[in-house]
Amino acid sequence: MPTPPNADALLIRRIREGDADAWTDLIGRFEGRLLAYIDRRVRNRTEAEDLVQETFIGFLTSLPNFDGARPLEGYLFSIAAHKLTDYLRREGRRPTLPLMSHKNSENDWEPAGNARPASSIARGDERRQMEEAALVTAICRQIDHCRRHGQWERLECVELLFLPGRTNQDVAAQLKISEQAVANYKFEFLAKLRTAVRSQDLPEEIFPELYREM
Amino acid sequence: MPFHSSDLEAYLDESLPVQEMARIEKALRENEPNLARQLAAIHARRNAGVHSLGEIWRRHRLSCPTREQLGSYLLGAMAEDFARYIAFHVETVGCRYCQANLADLQLQQTEAEQAVQVRRKRYFQSSAGHLQAGGDANPG
Repeated sequence: MPTPPNADALLIRRIREGDADAWTDLIGRFEGRLLAYIDRRVRNRTEAEDLVQETFIGFLTSLPNFDGARPLEGYLFSIAAHKLTDYLRREGRRPTLPLMSHKNSENDWEPAGNARPASSIARGDERRQMEEAALVTAICRQIDHCRRHGQWERLECVELLFLPGRTNQDVAAQLKISEQAVANYKFEFLAKLRTAVRSQDLPEEIFPELYREM
Repeated sequence: MPFHSSDLEAYLDESLPVQEMARIEKALRENEPNLARQLAAIHARRNAGVHSLGEIWRRHRLSCPTREQLGSYLLGAMAEDFARYIAFHVETVGCRYCQANLADLQLQQTEAEQAVQVRRKRYFQSSAGHLQAGGDANPG
């Protein structure tokens, strides 16, 4: 959810300078939505408020490492998610996963065919962020296009395909359209993303979904 | 019903709808075959730097309406087709962040101001001690 970046950047700058009023403003702006996010999962208001408190403390302690270009709300939600995960593990509700990958699982995601395994590509965080930014721009362009032209069915279709990851069949049933229509929307969406990736000379193997058979 | 990798990615990021989170946790507790293996594969893919469309879409919240748009939606003050899309995004897709924003906006209309102020004061008092420490480093 985009928020005015300048307003957030200004608020962050004031907080970094130790401005208590700015900190009060940030708490006032975000505590309600953080509480709602946590409480919906925890179902215990007191515990949820404690976790919001921990989220704000976590935000201040991580502030020296906060990338000002990142959306503030998203950053706060990500801290809240970590606090929530820790809490649910402590409560025994969220099973702890083994730190090490399961035997053979490392190759489960590798692209089929002759594509070079992505694990063999050495690249830094900066490069990964650049790749991600290219895809973000390409997806945003398509979302904006759909909204501006009232193509809500198309938008809902690709959103269901890629956010909850529904099958063509499920999406067709949900939107009451034909599976062929779903396949067409999917094809056009992925084709445009592939064009965007190629235009920036990004390697295909780091975006396996774009090249998977439909 | 098997779990789609997009759901499992969202599970790891605590962004899947609450009832789906519970379904995955239950399956993990019951040692559902292949589930831990699927999650480990996602970890491995992430570590290798392979991108996933759903992950990027979710992380950047590319189709989330703004908070102002959610406010207009609650007030019934927006175009019908966009309002229908917001309902789809919140209820059908189950966006946890937009659900939280909507719940907050709804509560603002009913919650007693005094209770809110007490809560915010508590947050401030428990965290303000860290304020200066945060201000010392990396002002850029």
